[in-house]
Amino acid sequence: MTRSIFLSLLFHSAMIVLTALSLPFMKRMPIDLPPIVSVDLIQISDITNIPFAPKAREVLEKIKKKKERVVSEQAPPSKKKKEKPDRIPLPDDLNKEKKKIVKKKQNPEEIKELIRQDSEFEKKELFDPNQVAALIDKSKVEQAETSKKEKKLTQSNIKKTSFTTGLTLSEEDALKAQIFGCWSLPLGLPYEENLLVRIKLRLKPDGTVLRSTILDHERMNTPGQRFYKVLAESALRAVRICQPLRVPPAGYERWKDLQLNFNANEMLKG
Amino acid sequence: MDYLVSIKKILLIAFAAVALTACATQKKVGKQVSAEAEAEVVKSDVYTGQETVEYLATGVPDRVFFATNKSVLTTAARDTLRKQAAWMRKNKDVTVTIEGHADERGTREYNLALGERRANAAKDYLLTYGVSGERITVISYGKERPVNSASTPVAWSQNRRSVTVKAN
Amino acid sequence: MKRLFFVIFCFFLLIRPTVALIEVDITRGNLEPLPIAVSSLYHEQGSQEIIQGEKIIKNVGEEISKIIEANLKRSGLFNPLKKDSFLQSSDIAHIKPRFEDWRLIKAQALVSGKVTISENRLRTEFRLWDVIAAKEMIALAFSTTPDNWRRVAHIISDKIYQRLTGEEGYFDTRIVYVSETGKKTRRIKKLAVMDQDGANVKYLTLGNELVLTPRFSPTNQLVTYLSYFRNFPRVYLLDIETGVQEVVGDFPGMTFAPRFSPDGKKIIMSFAKDGNSDIFTMDLATRVVEKITDHSSIDTSPSYSPNGKYICFNSDRSGLQQIYVMRSDGSNVKRITFGKGLYGTPVWSPRGDLIAFTKVHNNRFYIGVMRADGSGERLLTENFYQEAPSWSPNGRVLIFYRETRSDEEGKGFSAKLWSIDLTGYNERLIETETDGSDPSWSSLLSK
Repeated sequence: MTRSIFLSLLFHSAMIVLTALSLPFMKRMPIDLPPIVSVDLIQISDITNIPFAPKAREVLEKIKKKKERVVSEQAPPSKKKKEKPDRIPLPDDLNKEKKKIVKKKQNPEEIKELIRQDSEFEKKELFDPNQVAALIDKSKVEQAETSKKEKKLTQSNIKKTSFTTGLTLSEEDALKAQIFGCWSLPLGLPYEENLLVRIKLRLKPDGTVLRSTILDHERMNTPGQRFYKVLAESALRAVRICQPLRVPPAGYERWKDLQLNFNANEMLKG
Repeated sequence: MDYLVSIKKILLIAFAAVALTACATQKKVGKQVSAEAEAEVVKSDVYTGQETVEYLATGVPDRVFFATNKSVLTTAARDTLRKQAAWMRKNKDVTVTIEGHADERGTREYNLALGERRANAAKDYLLTYGVSGERITVISYGKERPVNSASTPVAWSQNRRSVTVKAN
Repeated sequence: MKRLFFVIFCFFLLIRPTVALIEVDITRGNLEPLPIAVSSLYHEQGSQEIIQGEKIIKNVGEEISKIIEANLKRSGLFNPLKKDSFLQSSDIAHIKPRFEDWRLIKAQALVSGKVTISENRLRTEFRLWDVIAAKEMIALAFSTTPDNWRRVAHIISDKIYQRLTGEEGYFDTRIVYVSETGKKTRRIKKLAVMDQDGANVKYLTLGNELVLTPRFSPTNQLVTYLSYFRNFPRVYLLDIETGVQEVVGDFPGMTFAPRFSPDGKKIIMSFAKDGNSDIFTMDLATRVVEKITDHSSIDTSPSYSPNGKYICFNSDRSGLQQIYVMRSDGSNVKRITFGKGLYGTPVWSPRGDLIAFTKVHNNRFYIGVMRADGSGERLLTENFYQEAPSWSPNGRVLIFYRETRSDEEGKGFSAKLWSIDLTGYNERLIETETDGSDPSWSSLLSK
């Protein structure tokens, strides 16, 4: 009895001590933030303001044009809400029903009457990081060379490191632009759901991916998270199609671990 | 504790303000809608020509015409129906079917209901002029049986009709 | 207690890595349909041919792959790549795809498969591969009688669609519609049913009487529709398999605008009498008739919410055609459309969140969707005349019909079936042998 009380006290005090120690670190964080450095942003954008890969931009413009054709005279939904005093509440049990349906789908599909299913041998998809490097085929060599050229272009900016992200704006833009072009968004996704896929990468100095990990990996095989899985798979494909990533030529230690946050909401809503 | 109370007050005021703005927008919208509705109602587009009209007997036209989305009988329509009533009172053994029709500019299901309402408007008028209800049946064809195939306002006005047809 | 929480909180802070990881937000991507390679399903040596009527199908595997390609393409979400660019033959691709070859032609996914026909059984297996990750995503096998090969293709399409989008598919479905022929002033109309892609048309009535607005039951076995049999417009029930028809209820006047309740036990419809249309339900088992609305206006086009608790319908009680929602017992009637113009044909989406409708404004017709409370109206397509949307079972696509202008002789008139997805971009004509109208989409045939 006394022993356990003693142990408890010990652990608690250890925690408090740890806390006391760690808190100052936390406090120091904001102090670390540099004063806003007025780097000449204009120059940077001159070089790197190519936010979309040309193909992606084309598509975006196409879509914009199409949008103009689609007619809608209604006020935006937020305004509409106020207009109606007695809005009909959406059926509450909608979500429950959805869940039920989803659960059903997890069961092996059976085809009634006419068609019988012989077997289902869907394999568990485990991601094999070692495979990735092996996948890079010769066609990527050309790409790598062109990216080298680009690296030269951006070299002048390297010193202007932004302290918050660890990449300069131009470096970040280059990387984003590259991935925009590679990422085929799964178009059927519902935009109401907040889907964010975070992928942690370990890179080689040349920008090839050594290892990629989905941070919320458990969601991949959770029932009712099919959309998450679809999005995560598309994000992984994007990274693989893109590699070697356009990373800065220097400062490997800085960006060898990189986290990409894939969020399709903005695109799907628009 | 004091500042908690003040926060509560602020929240209450904010809530009241939001509630009030909601009221204001409602009223505005109501006015807009009724103005729109009036604009649609005022249009008078009843066919007055003779082109498609057939006759039950000499001087007794078989059909009356309606305005868009309406089943109100016009003066001309009442005149026609009085002639039909007189004709039916004279020919006691005649029974009729009144067919209600709509133009092609509405949804199918609503048009079926509208045709039924038009046919009944005609029927009711005949009843008030002494024709027995047992001699009249009513059927709606909605937009299914236009008399004029053209997609023009004139054709549509010819198709918005109720036609009295001899049934025996 | 508070202290304890504080300590725990601090503990969590402590285990957080203190070195800032570089994070890059990716919020844009490529909106082009996903490039997918559908390899011909390998027709195993020594397999028989399929003889269907006069048609002899030599290579079922290839035919199946063509149907899959067509389905995926029509969805607007996939871009099936041309087969002549394929580098690997279909038999080897099914065993072990050379992913580099498929990556070279820019495919991100690959469908491979094999068919065997022996002793009047068609065995089909297929695999879906993630070309970029070099892994299998799904693998299934089906066995059925050979004349079911089209359905096999549709089921495979559904599996692929579901695996790559996360949504249920809608390819293994049928559409019941009204087939139209003849002059505009005297159209001959027949009930017809076909596969979702327009194949396998079957006529259900002879065209002797006017038929309108067929709708599938939730189990897809029954169709309810309006027939002018003997010049009495009444709601009928038709069993597609047996061909048996019966009148629904014993009403002293016109019944129309029928639809099934989501549990399939009731039919909801309008009944018109003395110039007034109200909404009624009839229980198919007990024959009990219930009056749902009681108003001197026209109340029609009722449609249940998927949970059966609400009904949306069309009424002109405000003076003009608008959409209303009420509880399924008729209480709590609320108008939900307040936009400019007239609103009709409300249909509740199978997901429950949206209502599709027809809108008429300035003599133009629109198909649109809005939330069940009337907010967030989005118009998907505008035309001279179009109406009667019906939802695909996954709630992503709408099918409707569109009529064209004509002159006094009726020249130029046509009625065609069209589909459009919720984005409003992917509008497609559905080819039918004759003109068509009043489409109604079934639910998935294999669930």
